[in-house]
Amino acid sequence: MKQQSGMVGKRRQVDFQIIADWVAPGDRILDLGCGRGVLIEYLMQKKGAYGVGVDVDFDKILSCVKRSVPAYQGDAQKVLNCFDEGSFDRVIFSRTVEQLSHPDAIMSDALRVGKRVTVGFVNHGFWLNRLNFLKTGNRIHNEVYPNEWYESAPSNAFSVDEFEKWCARRSIQIHHRVYLGGDWRKRCRNLPNLFAGYAIYDLGRGVQGEGGVA
Amino acid sequence: MNDSELIDSNPTEGGEVGLIEFQDFVSDAVFTFESGDTIPRMTIRYETYGHLNKAADNTILICHALSGDHHCAGVYRITDRKPGWWNHMVGPGKPIDTSRYFVICSNCLGGCQGSTGPGSINPETGKRYNLDFPELTVADMVNAQARLLDHLGVGRLHAIIGGSMGGMQALQWIISYPERVGRYLALATGARHTAQAIAFNDTGRQAIITDPEWKNGAYESGEGPAHGLAVARMMAHITYLSDKGMENKFGRSRRSRPLQEGGRFDVEFEVESYLRYQGQSFVNRFDPNTYLYFTKALDHFDLYGPDNRLDDAFSVVQAEGLVVGFTSDWLYPPQGNREIVEAMLRLGKRATYAELSMDFGHDSFLVHAPELYELITRFLDR
Repeated sequence: MKQQSGMVGKRRQVDFQIIADWVAPGDRILDLGCGRGVLIEYLMQKKGAYGVGVDVDFDKILSCVKRSVPAYQGDAQKVLNCFDEGSFDRVIFSRTVEQLSHPDAIMSDALRVGKRVTVGFVNHGFWLNRLNFLKTGNRIHNEVYPNEWYESAPSNAFSVDEFEKWCARRSIQIHHRVYLGGDWRKRCRNLPNLFAGYAIYDLGRGVQGEGGVA
Repeated sequence: MNDSELIDSNPTEGGEVGLIEFQDFVSDAVFTFESGDTIPRMTIRYETYGHLNKAADNTILICHALSGDHHCAGVYRITDRKPGWWNHMVGPGKPIDTSRYFVICSNCLGGCQGSTGPGSINPETGKRYNLDFPELTVADMVNAQARLLDHLGVGRLHAIIGGSMGGMQALQWIISYPERVGRYLALATGARHTAQAIAFNDTGRQAIITDPEWKNGAYESGEGPAHGLAVARMMAHITYLSDKGMENKFGRSRRSRPLQEGGRFDVEFEVESYLRYQGQSFVNRFDPNTYLYFTKALDHFDLYGPDNRLDDAFSVVQAEGLVVGFTSDWLYPPQGNREIVEAMLRLGKRATYAELSMDFGHDSFLVHAPELYELITRFLDR
């Protein structure tokens, strides 16, 4: 995850607010891929949440310590293993899912550990990405995708449609979905797979009788 | 541990605590051990740096490791070759900032560097305690420290800090005196020994007790199982390093001088020379019986409950914590450090786990590394 600065930093304020809207005061929050702890710090301040960040990188943990954000240096999957069912009110993946080695297993386990799961991700189906690829045949290169392929970590980009299909397949209940336009600020109301730049989902465990979480 | 030779003693930013003196707290009240046994009187040797503020809320207690002592910063004389064992971490402007904090470091109960231990005279018999000294636990060490704090007028600690055995004491502190600790910093430690750690300790103990000079612990002052203790120390010292660290430091370098009295088995490689020196110098400053008591106390220490989880033991904890593991530490591996924080987080307590990639093995926590320096500064500072 990139350090938030400038335009991206301002963009993030909107998704932080949306994520915070789904958090009840005093909630226990686990942020997987917490980076420098900015989101947890925000939720602790705005909602009086008890938050814990998880990141693999020592420098990120150091930043969390500076912010007084409790943090755990380690692997997202392994840390989920050590928590009982429903240990947290909410598990958050904010621009993290793209980088998970086993997204299905890890998100399913997050739905065990968390009563709810928030997933925020860049919609790879956004029209500019499509147009760009049609015109140039190259990966898009912009603020959201700042690096060339040869200098980026492996990233598993996916679209709103593909995410919805995963939710349906695993019978995951979608409590809320919010789409932001290409500016990541204004709401996007129509054809989100085409026009949403960023998507945020509030997920819950599958309802009994609908198959549950496979 | 406490081997500044391995340690990069680069001068650091920040000032020095400079010349200091140790002090002795003599408690004439009976001290009762966890076992129920008692000693009529107890001396705890300690040093302090910085000043207690009016609110008496700026105290940091540093707990030393197995072979460490109360001398963690400064020098006794200007001509001292080495400063205290954590001098790079403790001082004005350093992470444990003595211009802000009142820092205490005391020699453990059961020790041999000024505090009452097996080598002390039993006032009831006029002779050394030796093996009559009561069975010792980490909780006993902590209870003795608490009595020292009472004496110094310190109710609540801003922080408790320790690595290795010191980290175990920090964990015991937050359980035994939850209301007296604001935060804890535990480095390269664990809530119990692994089988491997116990195995190494027992090998060391066997080296001591099979030395004829041990005499069932009843040796006189100035005598004792010097060979056994030296071998125990050599073996233990290997466990404080890492294979990579040793390779980097010694490789296969040989000493230049020819073999001497030991013939073909005399010191040949630099690593042999180093370990033998460590063994010898340890004999000069450490009591073999204390070594037996301390290692047993550590082997017995176990905060895991019957369900193999730490949750029960930590349920009383109020302090906020930071636990630091080191990737190359094979004596107190990262997993044992991690499990402490995992239990705290399960219990909804504020705790952080950080892991540093360093090649110095278990002794990494004693090494001056910028990342560790920064981490401890930030944790204590906020």
